[in-house]
Amino acid sequence: MRKNALSGLMQSKVTWAVIAELLILLVCFVIRPDFFSISYQPSTGMLYGSLIDIINRSAEITIISMGMTLVIALGGTDLSVGALVAVAGAIALKFLRWDVLTYTTPGDYTVYPYVLVLVVPLVVCALMGLFNGFLVAKGGIQPIIATLILMVCGRGVAQILTDGKQFTTGYSPFRVIGQGSFLYLPMPIIITIIVVVAVALFTRKTAFGAFVESVGVNRSASRLSGIKAGTVILIVFMITGLLSGIAGLIYSSRIMSNDSNNAGLNFEMDAILAVVIGGTNMAGGRFSLAGTVIGSLIIRTIVTFVYYFGIVSEATMAFKALIIAVVIVLQSEPVREYFARRARRSEAA
Amino acid sequence: MKKVLFLVAALVVLVCVSAASADVVNVVIAFSQIGQESDWRTANTDDLKSAIENHPGWKLVYDDGQQKQENQIKALRNFITQDVNYILFTGVVSTGWDEVLKEVNEAEIPLLLVDRIPDCADKIDYVAAFGGDFVEEGRRQVAWAGEYLKKIGKGDVDVNVVIMEGTTGASAQTGRTEGNLKALKEYPHLKLVGQQSGNFTRAEGQAVMESWLKSIDKIDVLIAQNDDMALGAIDAIKAAGKVPGKDIIIVGCDSVKAAFDAIVAGEMNCTVECTPLYAEFVVPAIEALERGEKFSKRVIHPEEGVFDMDGGIDLGTVKSVKAADVIATRRY
Repeated sequence: MRKNALSGLMQSKVTWAVIAELLILLVCFVIRPDFFSISYQPSTGMLYGSLIDIINRSAEITIISMGMTLVIALGGTDLSVGALVAVAGAIALKFLRWDVLTYTTPGDYTVYPYVLVLVVPLVVCALMGLFNGFLVAKGGIQPIIATLILMVCGRGVAQILTDGKQFTTGYSPFRVIGQGSFLYLPMPIIITIIVVVAVALFTRKTAFGAFVESVGVNRSASRLSGIKAGTVILIVFMITGLLSGIAGLIYSSRIMSNDSNNAGLNFEMDAILAVVIGGTNMAGGRFSLAGTVIGSLIIRTIVTFVYYFGIVSEATMAFKALIIAVVIVLQSEPVREYFARRARRSEAA
Repeated sequence: MKKVLFLVAALVVLVCVSAASADVVNVVIAFSQIGQESDWRTANTDDLKSAIENHPGWKLVYDDGQQKQENQIKALRNFITQDVNYILFTGVVSTGWDEVLKEVNEAEIPLLLVDRIPDCADKIDYVAAFGGDFVEEGRRQVAWAGEYLKKIGKGDVDVNVVIMEGTTGASAQTGRTEGNLKALKEYPHLKLVGQQSGNFTRAEGQAVMESWLKSIDKIDVLIAQNDDMALGAIDAIKAAGKVPGKDIIIVGCDSVKAAFDAIVAGEMNCTVECTPLYAEFVVPAIEALERGEKFSKRVIHPEEGVFDMDGGIDLGTVKSVKAADVIATRRY
């Protein structure tokens, strides 16, 4: 068993995701070693550095892709997550400002109790997730089609809520979510850690994770073996909706406003990419939450790389695509098999 | 018999009243807008929408493109099938409109270009064009920074300038970048050390500034091609323990209300106006077109100002105005 450790490692997609991330960071280190410098910033009480930025700014995608991992493990995809980010932000700002014609200037106040600002967006997003799950589980609609509905109309709902306007706020307790700090770390990082641990415990310490994998592999077989496939699907989509809501609160707190057109734009694509880079198969079945976290970090590392090293804006898209293509190729079956074979040979020798 | 007469009379009165109260629509104006990318865009939409809707005899068909070119192309084709009388058009990007705008021409619907003038404007027919002078706005941004530094006695010191660009390919981005770069040549002490797109949004403005503050040793001036990115950058500057408006001079563009608030609070230095209030030009123009008048193909620029902390900086074409003096009268 121990003899095959290296070849087994070479065959795991997660290994290659980690290698890819380390390679990108190595390139950063070679160009500018101070990319890795981390210092303490007394004015904000937080650690300060590009690595912190990467983890901090990847929070929204990491949180959403925790849910997306489970959805993909079921053999589906959830396209509505980006729109739900916009919905959550719009609801939060609606309760904070309510009517910008009456309360004309943004300031350190909230029109409705703060608890509503936090709870209502999360409840609404969870219900929207449940709606997705209902269409999939009870309606038998393909997930990609079912979630397309909210992907398209979610942003519309967000627009209507705030009359197509961008509300801004200065309410300091709301600022804490996206810009506050705890234990020298930006708050989004703390929230991300809590979410990742919670999802990991829920799926790995209970049988739920196994249920998800089982339903993802064969829905009828798992039903026959006594798993309530419909309930599993409902729960997974509801979790994803809720997590999108949390990401939406973080996003809108960072900019202290709602931005119904840009908030969460293309997040569904980034989340799916994070899951796929992390080694979870789009066809469903086994999933890796740790891999997804690495995938999300890779995506954000690329973006930070572009900003940090001043890649011209026209080339940004092509640059991102190139790196992702390399990562995906590294993870492909033939490449992994090649390295696993070499590892086996060196072990045998 | 009396009853019947009464009923008929009542019916006639009812018909007359309802005919008089119902608006007689004789001009249908369609408007393909980009979406709701910023406060500026909202003001632009609200201003045009309310002016057209409240105009007697006019009806507005409005379409929100949600920042996608394909949505706008679809909307334009819908307008053609609905056979509207006028089309107002603002394109999310500057290229790729040739085909659909030619279809508008073929349908012989008068086209009015508003705000962002597409690259293909010289190849298509339009009856009038209204747009900000983006190149001039870009020039004013850099010129303000240059003149301000002279005023505070730093005219001979080399300073590091970063330019935060808008959505790559949008005419506001290409125009302002051209103006920025041209003006930088006139102020040799302003050294360009960074140039990156912040996509005209707060969130990306924040993320780009956050990275710049770590990768560039010293940033003295930030030229942000819209106020939203500047406002996002202010948060990032604060998070880095620096004082926005003092350690880093911040010049925005658009002159939205939030930028005025930031200037009055001392966190931002200047905003170059790019007015969204087009109704006062567009409505009279449509009225004139209805009367049979014609406009030249030249783009009509609105008159715009520059607003800063203290006012009085001469930029050649315009003199800056103290933001605190006019904040109460701002409509967006």
